[in-house]
Amino acid sequence: MAAATASPPPSALTKLISAHTPTDSTHPAHLHHLALQIQHNLQHQHLWTALTIHTHSPLAPYSPLPRPLISGLPPQRLYVHPDEQVELLAREARRRREGKKGEGGKGEEKVDREKPPPEREWVLPTHVREKWSLRRFGEVFEGIGVVPPEPTESGMDEERGATSGRGERQEQKADGEVNADVDTTGAVRPEGTEREGEKPESAANKWRTLKRVVLATLDDDSTVVYYVVHDGIVKPRQN
Amino acid sequence: MTSHRELFDPTNLKLAIHMRSLTETLHLHQEDERHYPDHPDEAKSAVKMADTSVSEPFPISLIANRYLLYDINTITYIRRKHCICGVLIGGLPQAPSQNVFCGIPLELMPEEARLLVEEGHAYIVEDVEAHMAGFLDMSEEERNAFMSAVESQGRDAAKAKKRRAGDNKERALKEKNLHRLVQESQTRQASASPDATNTADTDESLFAYPSPPASPPPPRASSTAPGEIFGITPSTSYPPLTMSVRSTNQPLPAVPRSYPLFRHLHSKGYFVTPGLRFGCQYVAYPGDPLRFHSHFLTVGMDWDEKFDLRDVVGGGRLGTGVKKAYLIGGKEENSEKADEDDDIRAFSVEWAYM
Repeated sequence: MAAATASPPPSALTKLISAHTPTDSTHPAHLHHLALQIQHNLQHQHLWTALTIHTHSPLAPYSPLPRPLISGLPPQRLYVHPDEQVELLAREARRRREGKKGEGGKGEEKVDREKPPPEREWVLPTHVREKWSLRRFGEVFEGIGVVPPEPTESGMDEERGATSGRGERQEQKADGEVNADVDTTGAVRPEGTEREGEKPESAANKWRTLKRVVLATLDDDSTVVYYVVHDGIVKPRQN
Repeated sequence: MTSHRELFDPTNLKLAIHMRSLTETLHLHQEDERHYPDHPDEAKSAVKMADTSVSEPFPISLIANRYLLYDINTITYIRRKHCICGVLIGGLPQAPSQNVFCGIPLELMPEEARLLVEEGHAYIVEDVEAHMAGFLDMSEEERNAFMSAVESQGRDAAKAKKRRAGDNKERALKEKNLHRLVQESQTRQASASPDATNTADTDESLFAYPSPPASPPPPRASSTAPGEIFGITPSTSYPPLTMSVRSTNQPLPAVPRSYPLFRHLHSKGYFVTPGLRFGCQYVAYPGDPLRFHSHFLTVGMDWDEKFDLRDVVGGGRLGTGVKKAYLIGGKEENSEKADEDDDIRAFSVEWAYM
């Protein structure tokens, strides 16, 4: 009887969005909703870690960004520059040759492929029904650096405390633990923090010279597609 | 003379175009004979002897709002020196349905024409006006000189045809080990009876234009028959016209909004070709398209032009499937950069594998 009229309980995503949309933001609420939904998708479908929503530029004037952007760490390297790939393949071939010499020609196929360490990426949340222009892309790139700032650095804390939704589990946690972004996902991927520790992605990747964002485009059916957009002319990868 | 005959014979011309564009762009220019040993004599000599120099600025013909180049030297020259390919659009009367390898003329995009004009390499000639003025102002001596030149070409062509027919016959007989008979027949022919030669190449003599079938062909010994002249229809008008008429008030070619990006890519050494076949506006190659796969599917636009994100996604998807990046860009407005060429900004889009 009462169940007929009562609305179903809100979904996890709805709860996340309603719990984490700031009320005093410089950006309209719908852009925060968009960012939160993309962040949710990244965290739970693509296993990204260290997700942070940025409302202000991490660069000098710290001016507001055109819209909230997300930064995060993918489980594997998202983008390998073609020149870097050439070098990786050359190294792999060299290893294979040496292995061949050592083992007398046996098991050279076993040499595992060298995996470049993952790097933090900027994510630009968009909706497919939006109209964009070159100017708007340009403005997004004005506000960001080549590599997103480390999530553990101080300075962005208040922002992260306000906007970083880590799912329901994190909601119950104390505010002090929010700082350690990897905590919630640590349950899913216990190796995440270790890999990050042994090879800090800030240790300059010499091929990462241009700004790039991952363009995340959301459709009404919650599909999200991801495209890498570089700020400049970058030759394509030869997958 | 050789170069004229080359121009008037479409098959030789085609051959010459392809050999030239291939050899020259790949810098194999030194010894054409070495690379193409089996090549017909005439085309080979045409390649070797043609004057390939191009003096700048060269003319671009504007006909019915199309920018066309008719000179094979210019076509190969701009490809070598200016990274501009254009599109060969000339079909052949004998093979009208073949569209893989077309011949001259070469059509330039308005962007290409504009670039060449802006950089001082070329100028635009309104071809209809130039023809009207050129032919109406032609003097009697010029006209006569041209007519006699055409006539001598016709004579040369007839002579060459005859020589080829004789060579063919000789070779065929030699293959059948009848060479001895030929020599005999030749000696006999020199004495009196010319009818023996007529049977060898009936099809050749059928199409040899001016020789009427009733009249016996002149004996080989006296091959300089003055009466035999092929009728030549000149397929170019330069000559007789000279390209000296250069009007300076021709406006720059009108270009679409994507021109700044086109120019920017070109200045970076990319070969930029029309991209409709690949689902974009331009295809950008990092070098000559004969040697490289393209890098970018390009769309140029205004800085504030609105586009659907679906277009970006579609372009990125399309490009990634063929190992290319989707490139959108345009002239950045309100930028602090003062330099004209430096305010083009482009964004490369590729699918993110996750």
